[in-house]
Amino acid sequence: MTRFSHVFVLNVMSDDHPGIVAAVTAAVESLGGNIDACSQTVLGGYFTLIMIISVPEAILPEQLAERVRSAESSGAAYQVLVRPALAPAGSPAAEPAERFVISAFGTDQPGIVRRFSQYLAGKDINIVDLYGDRRGNEFVLIGQVEVPPRWDVRLMQADLEQMGQDLGFTVKLQHENIFVATNQLRLQHGTAGETANPPTVPANPPTRAPREAGSGGFTA
Amino acid sequence: MLRTDEILSTIHMLHAEHLDVRSVTLGLSLDDCAAPGIDHLTKKVRQKIVSRASRLVEVCERVGAKYGIPVINKRLAISPAATLLAGHGQAAALQLAKTLDAAAAECRVDFVGGFTALVHKGIAPGDAVVMEALPEVLSQTRRVCASVNVASRKAGINMDAVHRMGHVLLAVAAATARERGFGCAKLVVFANIPEDNPFMAGAYLGAGEPEAVVHIGVSGPGVVSSALRRRLAMGGRLTLGDLAEEIKITSFRVTRVGELIGREVAAELGVAFGIVDLSLAPTPTVGDSVGEILKTLGIAAIGAPGSTAAVAMLNDAVKKGGLFASSSVGGLSGAFIPVSEDAALADAVGRGHLVLEKLEAMTSVCSVGLDMIAIPGDTPPETIAAIIADEMAIGVVNDKTTAVRLIPVPGAKAGDRVDFGGLFGATPVMEVRNSGASEAFVHFGGRIPAPIQSLRN
Repeated sequence: MTRFSHVFVLNVMSDDHPGIVAAVTAAVESLGGNIDACSQTVLGGYFTLIMIISVPEAILPEQLAERVRSAESSGAAYQVLVRPALAPAGSPAAEPAERFVISAFGTDQPGIVRRFSQYLAGKDINIVDLYGDRRGNEFVLIGQVEVPPRWDVRLMQADLEQMGQDLGFTVKLQHENIFVATNQLRLQHGTAGETANPPTVPANPPTRAPREAGSGGFTA
Repeated sequence: MLRTDEILSTIHMLHAEHLDVRSVTLGLSLDDCAAPGIDHLTKKVRQKIVSRASRLVEVCERVGAKYGIPVINKRLAISPAATLLAGHGQAAALQLAKTLDAAAAECRVDFVGGFTALVHKGIAPGDAVVMEALPEVLSQTRRVCASVNVASRKAGINMDAVHRMGHVLLAVAAATARERGFGCAKLVVFANIPEDNPFMAGAYLGAGEPEAVVHIGVSGPGVVSSALRRRLAMGGRLTLGDLAEEIKITSFRVTRVGELIGREVAAELGVAFGIVDLSLAPTPTVGDSVGEILKTLGIAAIGAPGSTAAVAMLNDAVKKGGLFASSSVGGLSGAFIPVSEDAALADAVGRGHLVLEKLEAMTSVCSVGLDMIAIPGDTPPETIAAIIADEMAIGVVNDKTTAVRLIPVPGAKAGDRVDFGGLFGATPVMEVRNSGASEAFVHFGGRIPAPIQSLRN
């Protein structure tokens, strides 16, 4: 639930340095706006931030983007993208799904992420978190995915292991509860249709765009 | 959302360090299968086992696949056979054992434990039938495991039963002489037998347990060993306290894996979830060894001074980590030191570093006792009984479970090497010193009274 009725998705990218969040939030505050959800990550020295913000007065997306860009005072240029968030009614009812983790380890080569993401997209399986890292010649890929109950996990494991063999990768698909159980103090037992580890911020905010089923441009 | 470092550390534990669930054991009460005629009784036993356990293996495999954790052994533990066999004879005992063996095979389980007699205070007729039938039962069945509880904290040590077991062990070894006395690997003599132990050969379903219940035995020696080595490789000044902390953390994570799998298997089978047994259970696979952990802790020759202290620290840290991880801890829950099943321990025996007396000392601070130890086949029954009595005394006085699984290998002398195959491993035959010198003590018989519970110095 957002605080105000004019809701936007705001995306900022920059080289990483102190003060970016302060500058962006100052710009939002100058409009009397509110930050309803946010997430940031830093990768390879680059910073990216996604926010759901709401403001009390109507404003064009490009005007909002410009306000954020002009908040930058250190000389580094922010890349800012703003779009209106979709109304909740526009989202399809989410299919119940259980969350699994795909991990793949092997010698790096182009096309790894594409192969796995295409396989998942073909099954309408959503990637909710993705991590990849090249260390020396080795590449590690970890995806957290939502698997609808209509898929037989053991058959998927066989598919993914075969794909891994073709690529010289070790690939595993495991229910997320094993990672919750071995890392977190509070043990929760997920049942079909719910995750064991619900995030404190809704993973599927009402403003979420229609599902793009893991196709989100993941290539390597 | 899970953090990447959490995922990576778990994946490392599962795949690089080969964590598995050692055993999912379905406990099943057969008390309602009692009948005056043995044919009637065994028909009910088969029916009950097949109807309750036929899905066990399939469910374990499905749940294991879901989490990427192999469940190595699927087992059954029944209520004590002695109860069912009261009023029956030895032929009935063998027929029951064969029925259990066949039903276990039908359900594709590895072993069925519970051919058990509880005789710590006295031997009832059903118990006597079980004890006397053991040579036939253990030589003519493959999956049936037996246990006899001869001592307890409250009753003391039944020396008549201990003496009788000295003879029974030799008779079982003789009946399985072609397999180097392997029948004895399926027979455990206990003090304070746990009612919810998932590990073989001592698993049975005790009084007070639900009618059907899933108990879990996790593994983890390899995981603990790797965690310690990784911690040591990080450098810095480390104390034994730091290493104990590392063991605790690893034990916490291993226990959580067991509970997760156990609860889900139990739910799918529609039976109660019982306990996670934290025991570090080694296998003959190199690296999956409690002995390796001791070496990592700085004991270059297992059996050297310091070995007992190292085992004590390991055992305690495992319990502390596991108990914080789960409120359903039970069974034996300690570090096992089964000689033939642990490549590093067997190697230490072969090198002369580890002797029977030092193993006995180590068992006073860990689980479970003198386990999988091959001894010369000509060891007198009274000496075997006296070894059992010593181990029982450790359990009774210290209010803990202790056990003896000795294999008097027919025709073998100290130093000969025997290979039992598979998970049972291989070991040199250990020397029994002062053999024959305990005869008069054992022949007194009767009961060593229960020990005092105060003034415990």
